Amino acid sequence: MVEVSEEPRVGVYVCHCGLNIAGTVDCKTVSEYAKTLPNVVIARDHKYICSDSGQEQIKKDIKELNLNRVIVASCSPRMHEPTFRNVLEETGLNPYLFEMVNIREQCSWVHLDQHEKATQKAKELVRMAVARAQLLEPLEIKEVDALKSVLVIGGGVSGIQAALDLAEQGFKVFLVEKEPTVGGHMAQLDKTFPTMDCSICILAPKMVDAAKHPNITLLTNSEVQDVSGIVGTFHVKVLKKPRFVDEKKCVGCGVCATKCPVKRPNAFDMGLGTRKAIYVPFPQSVPLVYNIEKEHCLYFTKGVCRACEKFCEAKAVNFDQKEETIELDVGAIIVAVGFDSYDPSTLKEYGYGVYKNVITNLELERLLNASGPTEGKLKRLSDGKEPNRIAFIQCVGSRDERTGHPYCSSICCMAAIKQAVLMKEKHPEYEIYIFYNDIRAVGKGFEEFYRRARESWVNFVKGIPSEIVEDPETRNLTIRAADMGLGKIIELEVDIAVLSISLVPPKSLEDLTRILPIPRGPDGFLLEAHPKLRPVDTPTMGAFLAGACQGPKDIPASVAQAKAAASSAAALLSKGKIRVESSVAFVNEDNCSGCRICEPLCKYDAIEVKESSKGKPTALISEVACTGCGVCASACPTKAITLRHFTDQQLLAQVKAALFKEEGACVDRGISHGS
Amino acid sequence: MEVKEKSKIDPKFKYEVARVAGGENIRYCFQCGKCEATCPIRRFEDSYKPAQIIRATLLGLKDMVLDSDVIWLCATCYSCTERCPQGVRLTDVMRAIRNLAIQKGHVHPFFKQQAGVITRAGRIFEDEEFINQMRGELGLPPLTPVNRDDLAKILRHTNVKKLLKNEKEK
Repeated sequence: MVEVSEEPRVGVYVCHCGLNIAGTVDCKTVSEYAKTLPNVVIARDHKYICSDSGQEQIKKDIKELNLNRVIVASCSPRMHEPTFRNVLEETGLNPYLFEMVNIREQCSWVHLDQHEKATQKAKELVRMAVARAQLLEPLEIKEVDALKSVLVIGGGVSGIQAALDLAEQGFKVFLVEKEPTVGGHMAQLDKTFPTMDCSICILAPKMVDAAKHPNITLLTNSEVQDVSGIVGTFHVKVLKKPRFVDEKKCVGCGVCATKCPVKRPNAFDMGLGTRKAIYVPFPQSVPLVYNIEKEHCLYFTKGVCRACEKFCEAKAVNFDQKEETIELDVGAIIVAVGFDSYDPSTLKEYGYGVYKNVITNLELERLLNASGPTEGKLKRLSDGKEPNRIAFIQCVGSRDERTGHPYCSSICCMAAIKQAVLMKEKHPEYEIYIFYNDIRAVGKGFEEFYRRARESWVNFVKGIPSEIVEDPETRNLTIRAADMGLGKIIELEVDIAVLSISLVPPKSLEDLTRILPIPRGPDGFLLEAHPKLRPVDTPTMGAFLAGACQGPKDIPASVAQAKAAASSAAALLSKGKIRVESSVAFVNEDNCSGCRICEPLCKYDAIEVKESSKGKPTALISEVACTGCGVCASACPTKAITLRHFTDQQLLAQVKAALFKEEGACVDRGISHGS
Repeated sequence: MEVKEKSKIDPKFKYEVARVAGGENIRYCFQCGKCEATCPIRRFEDSYKPAQIIRATLLGLKDMVLDSDVIWLCATCYSCTERCPQGVRLTDVMRAIRNLAIQKGHVHPFFKQQAGVITRAGRIFEDEEFINQMRGELGLPPLTPVNRDDLAKILRHTNVKKLLKNEKEK
């Protein structure tokens, strides 16, 4: 630790933040008051202290008045603490000698019409900060090494794009995908809105590029098992499950599948078509290596058959293949695990799972796809007949408080419009209805696409249906809805009803967030560090987000976010060193009883109880893994753990200043929150 | 307008309207209601809801639309056409719908009456003398006489007489 011996010389700066603070708090009075506090050398108020002129004023005062503590009373430290720490550093002061007081969010904004009391509160907050500032200590600036390698979890379009961008910049990338092929949901789609590009035609080249790139190691059939270490040097364990086919030998000829006698529902086709027990998910799979589904293979279940092995000229089938654990060291991690689809069978009113002709939009996607189970010819699942009346029901699962998915899934309006336009192009005679609540067409070219659908005579009905009833003989469906434009209840008979189901957080997040601590938002998706200014970062330094795992989004947004995540990871790692937060916990070994209370409380695996040099079990905190959350310090029964920059002395001085204006005198607190 | 049963929905109706000159843009309507807010008739007549007529047409409530009295209320002022953000040309759509109604034999009695006047007088009023007197007082020249031969031709080609004969008694 750096030593400061001089007497504290404190500068206090009270920011008006335009009228955000000054509209309620009398900033001049606050700064005048600050001048009366111990060791305060200068106090000023400023219209925008974060501005260039504000920063220059602080620098000038530090130099001319020889300040060694700086207090800014303004907005949240989440907003501008880094700004002012930089100001200190630029003038040669340790950045931890800076203290911020939030008199905006925590004062002016919550006491809008209590001017006098708010001013009083601002004065007290400043007094508390001054008390704490006396005890601030300079902390050593810490840097850790940064490996030039990145783990990308999830091989959908986001993961592929992030991997390609990083690989092109010279980083080593490990792209981990749990399925036997990369591609994700985008590979299942027929066309993409609003441009109607063939989905697999634009995706497949990227899949191939990722597999061939010398800087990318593709790990399919694989799942991340464990992440330890910290930014710069994460240590990752990946479990690679056996496919029972040698990736190096298989040429993807498919003879094995023609010989395999076991038929299984094809998961890639949402279970609508069939595939064999040895299979590739789809013709453009990458890697194009066959895969044996152990649970249904005759050899594995009954000990007979081995037809695939017999007919494989490349001798690629290997029933003895075992799972293996691959260990990787990476500097950063990009999470791109995508989304799951909502299961609409819980919404009994629509009869999904009971009425065969009620299908999901993802099932329709496969039925419209030329490589799907019907080769692109739309058929009813009840009788194989071609339909000509199709109704879409929007917001199934989404915007619904009952399902726990109150958010808009964002893609379904355009997805339904796309599917409707596709069908209308091939079959103008179809009657297509889209029952919607709002049409959300906010992307580039989306509104024009919506108009194109109306031009093709797609019928938009404002009103979410209350129920679907099947005629048991014809299997036709009657949809009951209020047509809000008409102001009437309508009952419409159709051949197929398509449910536009919501995008939901993937189940895999439960395990993943245990392995890699990234918080989830109230919607269940992964939470970015700041919704506007750090949209691809996470609170775990070195972990970034891309694609729908952060929230429902379409392909362009997923790709854009993937590129942003790749660029953020590259910016973090490219200097070879990473500066980490110095405000971390440390253990006073003499006081530690080795009780282990702190160890499981640490969400970041930063604490390990080990035998110390003195031969007794002692908690050891990895200062680089520690995020400074303070949980361990507050839990420690023997006060052996101290959180740097938030020491007991510093906090108690602040508390004391809150309660006592002067020694012995209790402050009369007459302010209420809210107004 | 009342929707009674599901069998009344005729999804082909919208195409019928679109085939009549002026009716083709009906498909672009996205039910913003600006036409209705603009319409001067709507200010005085609660039953006239032009956006609802479009919605009913697109859904296929043919009888409801064609039998309705309200489709005859449009004064063809073109305010809605001027302000429609989607270029629906509602005035023309309404005319197309009325033309279909006439073909089906649904004509509002007032329109039938007026058509009779035009057939007889070549104008929408019969008392030419009275009008000319007023024009004289205003210093305007008298009306140009109607070319009855040309009018007869137009009436013949547009089947006005036949269409009026088709009218079912309500």
